[in-house]
Formats: sequence, C-alpha cells, structure tokens
Amino acid sequence: MKIISVFFIAFGLSVAMAQNKQILYGLEEVPQSLMLNPGVRVPQKAHFGIPFLSQIHINGGATGVSTFDIFGNSNEDINTRIRNKIFEMDANDFFTATQQLEVLNFGWRNEKEIYFSGGIYQELDFVAYFPRDLAILAWEGNRDYLDYKFDLGEVSATADLMTVYHFGANKQISKKWTVGARAKIYSSILSAKSTNNKGSFVTSLSDEDGPNIYEHRVENADVKVQTSGITSLENSSVGKVLGRAFFGGNVGLGVDLGATYKINDSWTASASVLDVGVIFHSKDVEQYHATGSYTLNGIELIFPPLSEGESTLPYYDDLEDEIEREVPIDTITSGYSQLRPVKVNAGITYSFGRFLGGEKCDCLNQGLEREQAVGLQYYSIIRPKGPQMAATLFYERRLWKFIQAKATYTVDPYSFYNVGLGAAMDLGKFNFYVAADNILHYGNIAKAKSVSLQLGFNIKIDQEL
Amino acid sequence: MKKNLLIPFLGLLASLVLFSCVKDTDFGQAENITLTPVVELDLIYFNAEAGEFFDSITNTSILTLRDTTEIRFLDDSGIQESLIRAEFLFNFTNSISRTFEVEFQFLNDMNEETYQTITTVDAGTELAPVLTQFIDNVEGAEITQLTMSNRVVISVTIPSSDASLQGVLNLQSKTTYYLEIKERS
Repeated sequence: MKIISVFFIAFGLSVAMAQNKQILYGLEEVPQSLMLNPGVRVPQKAHFGIPFLSQIHINGGATGVSTFDIFGNSNEDINTRIRNKIFEMDANDFFTATQQLEVLNFGWRNEKEIYFSGGIYQELDFVAYFPRDLAILAWEGNRDYLDYKFDLGEVSATADLMTVYHFGANKQISKKWTVGARAKIYSSILSAKSTNNKGSFVTSLSDEDGPNIYEHRVENADVKVQTSGITSLENSSVGKVLGRAFFGGNVGLGVDLGATYKINDSWTASASVLDVGVIFHSKDVEQYHATGSYTLNGIELIFPPLSEGESTLPYYDDLEDEIEREVPIDTITSGYSQLRPVKVNAGITYSFGRFLGGEKCDCLNQGLEREQAVGLQYYSIIRPKGPQMAATLFYERRLWKFIQAKATYTVDPYSFYNVGLGAAMDLGKFNFYVAADNILHYGNIAKAKSVSLQLGFNIKIDQEL
Repeated sequence: MKKNLLIPFLGLLASLVLFSCVKDTDFGQAENITLTPVVELDLIYFNAEAGEFFDSITNTSILTLRDTTEIRFLDDSGIQESLIRAEFLFNFTNSISRTFEVEFQFLNDMNEETYQTITTVDAGTELAPVLTQFIDNVEGAEITQLTMSNRVVISVTIPSSDASLQGVLNLQSKTTYYLEIKERS
C-alpha cells in the first residue's frame, strides 16, 4: 500500500520536465540498468518487469529558464520578466522532454551464463532550441531592429514518438570483463524535425535609388521541415495510428553496446553507447523545403488606363506569386532517414567498506561486492546543435540488505546544483526502484530547470535460487 | 549503523515525494502575457509621370489617376483583434509644377468605404522637386474601421494639366503597425 501510494504521488508530482539517467546507470540492483549499459554486471538469474510498470521515466528541462522565473510571484510585470529572459537566453539554450514507458522487460541467464534480455518500450522525445532572434522579432517587432539580421537558422527542433523492440545479450567473459550488446528495432509513430536551417531576415532603409522607404530582405533561406506519420493524422483512425507502434509505420534499426571492466576489488570502469541507429521514413512522409532570397519593397502601382468597369492589375496576387517563385516552398514526399540521438555513458567506481556477505569470499566468481562506492560518470547525447554533456559525482551504499541507495551530484547544461537520489529495494522477489534528480528543488519544483524521474517494479529471481 | 541510516533515508525519500510541490507561483499571470511588437512594413509606391495626366491622342486632360490594390491581411481576424494603432507615412516627391490632392480610400469586400484619408501635395519643379510628408495616425474607433477593409483605392487628382507639363510625382510609403497580442476572452 505504501509503495502504491509512493508510486502515485511520485508520478503525480512530475511536472516540469534530457535523457540522462545518472542514478540508474551502474545501479546493478535494477534490471533496467541493462538498458543504460548492456554490459553491466547482472547479479540476478532472471527478471520480469511488471508490464507497463517496469519503468516509467519522465525527464524534462530547460536551460536558462525555470517555471519560477516566469510564473513566480513577483512585483515585476510578467511581460518584463519574459522580455528579460528572451534577451538573457541564447540560441544554444534548449527545452527538452522525454517520456518512456516500458511495456515489457524480461531477462534470463542461460546455462552458458549468457544473460539474455528483451522487451518493448514506448518513447517520446522532444528537443527544441530557443530561436532567440525569432522570439525577439515576435516580441518586439522589427522597428527597433533595422539592419539587424534575424537568423532563421536558429530554428532547430525534433520530436519523435516511437515504440522500440529490443533484445540483447550480456556475458561476463572473464574475471574482469563483462560485455553486452542489444539490437533495437524502432517503430516510428510520429516524427517531425527541422534542423540545419539557414538564412536571415532583415529590414533596412532603402538607399536613395531604392523604390520605397524600406527593403525587407529574406537572404539565402534554406529552411526544411521533415515529417512522417503526421499528414495522415487527420484522416487516420486512432487504431491506424496505434498500428504504427507495431511496425505499421516507419521502421529503423539500432544497436546498444556496453562493457564493464573490473580493474581490481576496488576499482571498476564501465562505458556504453546507446541508440547507434537510424530510422527510415518512407511512409506518410511530407517534407517542406523553402529556399531562396527575396527583397520586398511593397506594392508598385502603375495606374493603368482602364475602361469603365474594368478592374485593375491583381497587384497583391502578383506579389504573392513573386514571393512563391523566389522563395518556393517545395513539398517533397520522398523518404528520408533520421539518425537516432546517440547517447554515451561512462563511469569509474571506487568501492570500499565492508565486503557484502561479511567475509572475503568470491563464492560466485563474480567479483567481490563492497558496501559503499563513490565514482564519476559522464553522459552525452548528440543533439542537433552538437552534444549535450553532463558529469556526475556519486555515492552509493547498501542500507540494510535490501536497499541499494545512490546519491548523485550532476553538473549539466541546466545547472551546477543538481542533486539526485535513488533507491532500489528488493523485497523478496519483488524489486522496486525510484530515482529522481534535482531534489534540492523538490521543495518547489517550479524553481528547477530540469526534473527527471524513473520508477518501476520488477520480479527478480536471484542467482542463489 | 545500517539500521540507524535506514529510517532517516526512507524518511528523506518519503518527505521528498510527499512534500515536493510547486509554490510561490501564479499561473494565472499567463492571462496577462501580452506581446507588443511594432512592425514596420512598406506599403505602396508609384511614379506618376506628368504625361499620364494628359491624353495626347484626344488632347484632353486626365485630372484623376486611380488605382486599387488589395491589402489582404488587413481584415484578417488576428489583425482585427490585435492591431491597436497604425501609422501611415507617405513621402511625396513632386517635380511637377502642380499641387495634387491624393485620397486613400479603404474598402471592404462589399466595396463600401470603411476608412478614408486625404492629403495635398505641394507643387515642385523639375530642378527643385518638393518633398511633402503626410502622416496619418489611425487608432481607436478608426482602427476598427480600417481593419474592416482589405483594399485601398488611391486617387491622385491634379487641378489642371496640359501637354507641356513635365516632371514626376513619386510616392514612397510605409505603415507602422502597433500590435497587442494577448488572450482575449
């Protein structure tokens, strides 16, 4: 009952919202740590995640601005606060949201000591960079920005909704090495992407020979939006859209690789690379591509001699046609491929304290486990404007026999003050874990620039059984 | 030792979960978010030659030149809602030795006049063209009228003309749109 209430409360509080799961990484007591490093050491003999509850992950964040910055109680007008933030932030600031829900997760160790694991999860991933120039243009207009080149290239965003089917193998190949690999099939439901855009918009006073007061110039525009699964949404039934979750849409392939190296009884190093893959969008694809340059001077009237009832020239239509001719927006339905955002994790752990089990006995030939550990972790994810990185310092300890707790301090693009806490509990065969970061802000989540939460329930069958 | 740590640890986790909240915030402020961009945009321009005011074939004066253009965005519902002020700037450069009366008549779909403004342009010479600036500020009830239109008829009237008349009447113009974009109930 307690666990259920904790689950509901924890799920309910996740409001604001990157994909870094620094608390779960290397936390061997949680079977889902295999998803972060296929080469993690696996203590259990088998596991089975409670369907739909084995991992609920919500992660979101914004660099440069928090909910409190905008909506906090203040005597300052909200519009002044928004304006100040627009000017304070830059085009490398971003907003992200990730949500994952495991449908199935299972694993077992075979006679040859290979741990096979597989499952299905659904993922929603969104990242949008702050298009500062366009925000200024929308907020202020162009009057005070004559000759300023508003950068259209700042538009950079991706959004994906997909189901991932995966199967992997993990094996301790020597006393020191544990390695693993996982194959993934992505089944894309919806996808939209606009990255690597170029061009600018500028308003200048015309020179003396100019036809009108201003020149409004779109210079070297090259703006592309790629979508798949979206154009047919209007005419699709819910069933058809959901069908894409089961290979009904666009599919892709990927791989996760990982390894753990036990240097000695105290030191362990590990690393993984996740989602090295590509999705091939070929069905229900629509790409929009605008290219060109154009200078707008307004509408030139030529006062044509007209007979009674004769209408004049269609100046406005001609202008629209001219713009469409000079900066055409092509609609392309040919397919495209999309690389998955590759994630890299790495860690080094120093274990110390009492040996678990009370005596120095490497009974399972798996290396000796100590009660406490400290370490460093590195995380990066490839995003449209380059990798986003995070560094984590952690302390891990066993509390009683059934709780493994981990505290983290993370420095990432969001803040220098991200403290996280997580615990994995083994109650008999029942395994429950919860991990949350930015806990210093849990007193008021509105002040947090990012929040990450993972929790889940598994059935674990221990090696001893 | 372990027992001693367990209770505080569970207590900390529970309190984090139980007492986490969003406070000292007022999301009701979202209603007050107002974008107030000021947009500068070219309007129309023309060069009316003196000869256009005289028909050399029939040897008669053409006292009024008239032309119409759509300004389709003007009666867009978003503009109707958000435009609080529009300031037209007309720069006439006249090298014709006549004054002109220039009328701007804004019409709706039914060809009904919703807004009108008129100005007089000073006479100039070919050697010394004269600049006449006309600013028309539209706000309040008038802006509602203006944003009901989607076209403008420009009439350029000369008091008299003959075959010998020389020079050009040039117009350059722009509009400054003062917008107030917010949630309206």
